Amino acid sequence: MSVFNVPPEPPDPSLPTEGLISDTVTVGAAVQAPAEAAVAAGMLPATRPRSAFRRGLEVFFENKLAVAGGVIIVVMVLFCSLGPLFYHGNTTVVNFINQTLPPGAGHPLGTDANGNDVLARLMTSGQISLEVGIAAAILATVIGVLWGSVAGYFGGIIDAVMMRIVDAVLSIPVLFLALVIVAIVTPSEPILILVIAMTSWLTTSRLVRGEALSLRVREYVQAMRVMGGGSARAVLRHIAPNAIGTIVVNLSFQVADAIGLVVALSYLGLGIRPPEEDWGAMLSNGITYVADGYWWLIVPAGVCIVIVITAFIWIGEGLRDAVEVRLQRR
Amino acid sequence: MAPLLQIEDLHTEIRLRSATVQALSGVSLTVEAGECLGIVGESGSGKTMTALSTMQLLPPGGHITGGRILLDGQVISTLDDNAMRHVRGNEIGMIFQDPLTSLNPTMTIGDQIAETVRLHRGAGKQEALARAVEVLSLVGMPRPAERVRAYPHQLSGGMRQRVMIAMALACEPRLVIADEPTTALDVTIQKQILELLDDLRRRLGMAVILVTHDLGVIAGRADRAAVMYAGRVMEETTTTRLFGNPRHPYTEALFQALPGKSGDDSGRLYNIPGQPPDLTRPPAGCKFAARCRYVRDACTADEPPLAGDADHPYRCFFPVGQATDPAEPAVLVTAEQAAERAAQEAKADGQPLLRIEHLVKNFPVTAGAVLQRRVGAVSAVADVSFSIRPGQTFGLVGESGCGKTTVGRLIVGLERASGGSILLDGEDLAKVKRNDRKRRGAHVQLMFQDSYASMDPRMRVGPILREPLAIQRVGSRRQQQAKIDAMLDEVGLPRAAVERYPHEFSGGQRQRLGLARALILSPKLLVADEPVSALDVSIQAQILNLMQDLQRDLGLSYLFISHDLSVVRYMADTIGVMYLGKLVEVGPADDVYYRPVHPYTKGLIDAVPVPDPQAERAARQKGVAGELPSNIHPPSGCRFRTRCPFAQDLCAEQEPPLRPFTARGHLAACHFPLREPEAAALSEAPA
Amino acid sequence: MVRRLFQAAAVLLLVTIITFALLRAIPGNVAAAVMGPNVYRDPAEIKLFDQTYGFNRPWYSQYLLWLGHLLQGNLGYSWNLNQSVASLLGQRILKTVVLVGISVVLAVIIAVPIGMLQAVRRNKFIDHFFNTFSTVFYAMPSFLLGLLLILVFAIKFPIFPAEAPQGATLGVIFSNFNGMILPIATLTLITLALFSRYMRSSVLDNLTEDYVRTAKAKGASEWQILVRHVLRNSLIPIVTLLGLSLPGILSGALITESVFNYPGMGLLFYQQAQRSDYPVLLGIVIVVALATVVGSLLADVAYAVLDPRVRYQKS
Repeated sequence: MSVFNVPPEPPDPSLPTEGLISDTVTVGAAVQAPAEAAVAAGMLPATRPRSAFRRGLEVFFENKLAVAGGVIIVVMVLFCSLGPLFYHGNTTVVNFINQTLPPGAGHPLGTDANGNDVLARLMTSGQISLEVGIAAAILATVIGVLWGSVAGYFGGIIDAVMMRIVDAVLSIPVLFLALVIVAIVTPSEPILILVIAMTSWLTTSRLVRGEALSLRVREYVQAMRVMGGGSARAVLRHIAPNAIGTIVVNLSFQVADAIGLVVALSYLGLGIRPPEEDWGAMLSNGITYVADGYWWLIVPAGVCIVIVITAFIWIGEGLRDAVEVRLQRR
Repeated sequence: MAPLLQIEDLHTEIRLRSATVQALSGVSLTVEAGECLGIVGESGSGKTMTALSTMQLLPPGGHITGGRILLDGQVISTLDDNAMRHVRGNEIGMIFQDPLTSLNPTMTIGDQIAETVRLHRGAGKQEALARAVEVLSLVGMPRPAERVRAYPHQLSGGMRQRVMIAMALACEPRLVIADEPTTALDVTIQKQILELLDDLRRRLGMAVILVTHDLGVIAGRADRAAVMYAGRVMEETTTTRLFGNPRHPYTEALFQALPGKSGDDSGRLYNIPGQPPDLTRPPAGCKFAARCRYVRDACTADEPPLAGDADHPYRCFFPVGQATDPAEPAVLVTAEQAAERAAQEAKADGQPLLRIEHLVKNFPVTAGAVLQRRVGAVSAVADVSFSIRPGQTFGLVGESGCGKTTVGRLIVGLERASGGSILLDGEDLAKVKRNDRKRRGAHVQLMFQDSYASMDPRMRVGPILREPLAIQRVGSRRQQQAKIDAMLDEVGLPRAAVERYPHEFSGGQRQRLGLARALILSPKLLVADEPVSALDVSIQAQILNLMQDLQRDLGLSYLFISHDLSVVRYMADTIGVMYLGKLVEVGPADDVYYRPVHPYTKGLIDAVPVPDPQAERAARQKGVAGELPSNIHPPSGCRFRTRCPFAQDLCAEQEPPLRPFTARGHLAACHFPLREPEAAALSEAPA
Repeated sequence: MVRRLFQAAAVLLLVTIITFALLRAIPGNVAAAVMGPNVYRDPAEIKLFDQTYGFNRPWYSQYLLWLGHLLQGNLGYSWNLNQSVASLLGQRILKTVVLVGISVVLAVIIAVPIGMLQAVRRNKFIDHFFNTFSTVFYAMPSFLLGLLLILVFAIKFPIFPAEAPQGATLGVIFSNFNGMILPIATLTLITLALFSRYMRSSVLDNLTEDYVRTAKAKGASEWQILVRHVLRNSLIPIVTLLGLSLPGILSGALITESVFNYPGMGLLFYQQAQRSDYPVLLGIVIVVALATVVGSLLADVAYAVLDPRVRYQKS
């Protein structure tokens, strides 16, 4: 889990350029007469134009890990949301007779301390973990984007104050802050989403502010000003579209972090309250039996957590390569 | 005597992810001890690859796939890395293009120079450092014992390149390869560095391979020169012969594409059509055939072998020029003829379109703990005045820090002036309010040096060209489309280009797009900031010709900003020379060029390498000495006095005013100019 | 430099404001929050509390009073544990420092060579191998890692004890160092995952720089280039990273302490969070924030010292 408010990796340094020759256009075999207009014919690259978006998609799908990540998430979402429709295991009735049964007939993953079927519990818990994680990440991104754009756009003292606030909240470790808030307010699922979002929007805002600042001085924005364009056009037509790529990449990592955080909070007993359970709570309830070797109380939930977070990281990295390729082709 | 370096039929490939580039296909060169061989070519010619192959420093994916390289009779192209390490830095030294990135930013320059000595001579720390100091003084670094502890970022560009040279020389190699050693430097510093290299070569008896794209540099410094194109040597001979009697059509075309060489610069530059070939799929036959104006069937069928005599080989079936050298060299335009022409052209007609009066721009320098306080100001533009007439080109020339780019930005409104006025058709743009910025955009536009960076990479060409029209609300959608089509036709691009992205085009094509976008609003004045500086010579000619055509067709005025004096001289009707924020000389182009008044102008002209070996040799020992002072604290009085050979006390006390020297608008600001003002000028009121 | 100090001070001030806001956000009476709901039985007690601590005054003077206490080192009093927060922390803080300190040092020592190795052998097997490792450890929640380590190394193969040494003093900790192995391993592994990725990236960035080519042209060997040129330049951004990741490491420490029952600051925080012991919680928050701000500042100073471009301005 990343409690680090730091992206898992800075962008990969630029890959070697495709060609050392700047003009890799194949000239048609026909010989050109040295007249200006005739030069134009045959000077276009042979490739068909593809939109930047499509090219990004292509790069993304070439990345095996990213695709694997995508598949994993889709499978997991289906598993958690549609699974219970097909697999009816006992998830609510406390059944002490069937307590902590190892995997076997009728219970592919065994039962937990309350006699509930682990596989079924895995699905319902997964729903909560995923819901909270994704919702919190989206909320965090929205707040972060707003905060960062305002700071980056206005600059000056407004920027300084807003960023100092970000610094201040950032200097309180995420978990500490979340625990304090949760100690004050009893968490339910929506509250939990809010709490996690409150602690996660910070890096996004820094990122967006950085983008806003750097994009503001890009030459194409300057060119637009020379044409007579104003700030509104700069932001809407040039800065925002070019920043979206970074924001989407960051969103994926945010989801990974958010899921990690909600799971950690639940493990500490300050997340989802019983009788609801998410993967973290499953782990928390399972450790008491670890010494007896009841691995099925821990391993399935643990594996799910690791797989899902890893998948989002892979997706994030794939997105990042896709976004960079779009902008790097010269 | 056996040559020092022999490259025999060298083949080099670069294996990329998707394809393999045939970087070199059979290059053969020799370098004698103590001589200077120039390798000249454009991007993709393979000149850098040749240098890197010699040192076995090829980029990832690069391999020597054929031929061999011998140093003093020993084969070095097949040495493994361990053995090659003894050659690098020891037998062969190398100097790279950009000294800022080529030096380790966290190591002192002394340590970096000493490293070579410690690697090859096994010297101890103190010993090596002492040698570093020695070499630094050899390359002309002032106060070497002190500077040896400096870090690269603390030095100026010219000083850093001297450090690179020192590093390459520390172990007294017999051969030094210099890959574009001065391309990243100002012209006057460039001259100093080239003089230094020459001097060291003679003193230490080294051989030098000078790799460059600049024919002028070759003309002045190389004993022999090889012209490369698409991975082949097209022609090789002594420099005098190459410039006097080129045999290969490519060489001939290059000379005719150069503004400096064309001698008679009222004519058009020769425009080499097309692009260099794609070396992942090299064409059969002669690699230049697709762009050659003399091409015939035999050229595309087979590759021409080396022909000609032993000391002037060339690779062409149908060479140009004469089998023996012409008796007399080509006649250059004399100063008198140029002045005459200038007089005729300088007939002022009508009101100027743009008038700059006493323009000032200061950039604040801030420091401070909590609040950023202003501690000083960079005087980027200090009281500059000139005017541009309709339909004319004003060339603004100068080196880094002179303020020419800032002047351009002030005119188009990207910066606000600190003082003075910018009068376009009588209206003061400097006082324009925010809302009126749009109106300014209709009259004055800017063309960037790097058109790629100035276009939103996410937009296709169509929307990019439509944007100015949309902002200015010109016409309906259909009318806009018609304008876009017409503009593309004008700049010589196909209409289908609207569907493409900027990155799909080559450098020259992108400059055309930049022109198209800048002109689509039909402005009266176009400010072109270094429009061709990033282009190869052959492409440069295309763009310059295009700009001239457009000027004629659309009745444009240009403010042509460049550091390249030969290009400016070709394009401009009037030249203004700037130094450290001041306009030191202004006047009709040929007048300023052939009869300069200000010592800096003369130094600049002398420093610019011209592709004429005789002129270059005559210009040795000239140029401008010293380094550029800071423009936060510019020198008092005349800002050029710290580097001026004629400076006296008066120059420090009083700033010289801009005063006329001819009756035709030639002004300069100097107390001790190179010429006296003509009588006619003194009687006329100041312009 | 001075500007950074001012910024840091401003940030700390903001932290205190935020913490204070949190304190006031606690529902109900502050006295009840601090002393427990039992206090409602005795209104006089509440009144006394309010008067002593100034909670009957307008909020801004409350804040100033509270801030004043803070600056004097008075972090409040834990009625729950019947000790002043400061003394509680004093007992615990050193233990957390030991845990975090050893883990970070180990993580850096291991991450630097691994990151370098990965960068030099980019896209080869060893790169992918370590990449997978670091991804898995990065994705794995720290408590899960801790549990797994316990499962394997304390239960299945009882090499190390499952619980950390419980002693009150450092001496006891070190004499039972066996019990420290697993908690240190946990914290080190998750920190290592992040650091090695950044190191790899940093080295890759530097390997493509021009000065590496120059060094090669001088005749230096790959090893010499790596050690003498690339290493130092690659480490510089890592210093900044250290400063930035300190809050994350502390969060990780909190979890590690709770998994292994290690009597440090994190465990105290967790335990008191369950009991809503607000003085302790807020006191720790302040201390931790102070630590991260100071840590960040130190990282900036180190960066300035290491990078001559920052240390010496252009002459």
